[in-house]
Amino acid sequence: MQQPEEKTAPNREDLRINFFRPRPGFMRKEVTIIWITLSAWALLTFGIPIHLAINHVDPVETLARVPYLLGVPAYFWFSGQFLILWFIFLCFFFNILIDWLSSSYRRRRS
Amino acid sequence: MEANYKFTAFILLGLTLVISLIVGLMTRRHDSGGYGIQVRSIGHANIGAAIASNWMSAASFLGIAGVFFVQGYFAFAYVLGWTGGYVLLLVLMGSQIRRFGKYTAPDFVEARYDSPVARAFSAVIAIVISLIYCVAQYKGIGMIFAWMFGIDYTQALVFGTLVVLSYLVIAGALGASRNQQMHYLILIISFVVPLMLIAKKLGYNWLIPQFSYGQALQDLPAKMSSDYLFPWTFGTPYEWIALCFTLMVGTAGLPHVLSRFYTVPNSRDARWGVVWGLFFIGLLYWSAPAYGAFAKSWLARTGTVLDPAAAEAIADIIVIKAAEWVGLHEIFVAILAIGAVLAAISTITGLLVTGAGAIAYDIYYRMINPNANERHLLLVAKGSTLVLAFLILVIAVNPPGLIAQITAVAFALAGNTLFPVFLLGIWWDRANKYGAIAGMMIGTIITFAPILVGHLIPGLRSILPPTSSALIGAPVVILTMIIVSRLTPPPPEHIRRFLVEKVHSP
Repeated sequence: MQQPEEKTAPNREDLRINFFRPRPGFMRKEVTIIWITLSAWALLTFGIPIHLAINHVDPVETLARVPYLLGVPAYFWFSGQFLILWFIFLCFFFNILIDWLSSSYRRRRS
Repeated sequence: MEANYKFTAFILLGLTLVISLIVGLMTRRHDSGGYGIQVRSIGHANIGAAIASNWMSAASFLGIAGVFFVQGYFAFAYVLGWTGGYVLLLVLMGSQIRRFGKYTAPDFVEARYDSPVARAFSAVIAIVISLIYCVAQYKGIGMIFAWMFGIDYTQALVFGTLVVLSYLVIAGALGASRNQQMHYLILIISFVVPLMLIAKKLGYNWLIPQFSYGQALQDLPAKMSSDYLFPWTFGTPYEWIALCFTLMVGTAGLPHVLSRFYTVPNSRDARWGVVWGLFFIGLLYWSAPAYGAFAKSWLARTGTVLDPAAAEAIADIIVIKAAEWVGLHEIFVAILAIGAVLAAISTITGLLVTGAGAIAYDIYYRMINPNANERHLLLVAKGSTLVLAFLILVIAVNPPGLIAQITAVAFALAGNTLFPVFLLGIWWDRANKYGAIAGMMIGTIITFAPILVGHLIPGLRSILPPTSSALIGAPVVILTMIIVSRLTPPPPEHIRRFLVEKVHSP
């Protein structure tokens, strides 16, 4: 009776890893944090160029109409200076959350 | 000829290389006493400085300013691609790659996909990435030596290769390692201080030239100013987004960037090191466009007109030209040139050693002669270094583009091949060796098709620009890997178990 059970045991074990169907517990929460960070990363990095591509096609009209910041069009300042800060912030934010998640799971485990 | 001979720069360069070797020797002795304890005690900021120092090449030091000088806003695709890629790397792979515990891309591929063929394929890709990356560095060295000695670019290139190889041989013979923190400090100071002085010479806020260059752009004649500030003067929105995305996924798939994660004690240190690393890299990337803007400002003030070909010809040393044009003291111009050469030499030596190691171990030992002893392998590695150096020299004689553009092709290859292999290798247990091999094959074709047959197929280069092919390439490769993996047997159970228990466990 014991033999078939031993044979089927590994099959029942869940070894699936899938980013879109994360395992319950640590991985599911980790993937949620990843989604939040990636959304914030993609939205600002590609959102502004997409907005510019749709709404600003003429140089003269664009440069006359857009708001200015530190002597340059706001989108220019945003791409050249702000986004690097944004990336650093996102990495910081991600690390804080993952540190919190890891320590809470390690505590639970011990 | 003598008038062009930048004696100060040459002497300072020699001195810097000697000091770098001496500090490298001291670091080696210090480390040998207790490497583990040393690494643990250096802190996240130091890990970040090491990440930044490893990252800063001629593409960062010379390339971005060059592209900005020629293409204005469009250059921000490089700035954002090469910084935003670290977010992608950290978020999707940082901890997991560190927990996987394999030191090189081929090691990871073999361990994860259980296939010597996939390993060999990834090793060849890693070597080609190094090769392309080095061509860009060679161009930087060639142009600076040509400027420094007033000689022809090809002669300067040959001389530069000899300097690189001599440095490699001496450092290897002495066993000197690079002090990453000192290296970063030299690079960032040699980049930012001359920039502050240039801003001062031109009458702009010199304390934060990273912000005041906007004013310099506003002061340009109206047409020139609008060309620089308008986002789509030098490229379409698709080209900008494709380039930015390619550089991001390329960063996350670049073998020598991933290897950096293993030199830190644990995954938490690796993660926090990235935050600091990004800040240190950011200091350079905030500054680089300012060189291009100030150079343009000087040209406009003096009424100097450069046609597009002439502008492109000097773009890759515009950092040095800007300092020279505004009349900075020769010592500061020399410091800039040394920073650039140092960035290029350190990148080349690192990549040559890694590339030669991959040829000797991953190709020769694993596939051709498994009975080779260590002495034999060392000989193969040394021979490979020479062959690689010569090959790069031959390609660099006729550089196919600006430094940043050449480097971008290496990123496209990494983004189209290794990035999907790493990503699915970590985040999908079902990805198998057949999928990985098929994916790398398709990724290689997508990268090189526009370069090799782009002129024969109308529209191919518009859809897949050689520098930016990963916006389409990476998703296609991921899809290929998924389909092929689904149609073939799953990977062995011990690998899937390892993923669950070690790689995805806190």
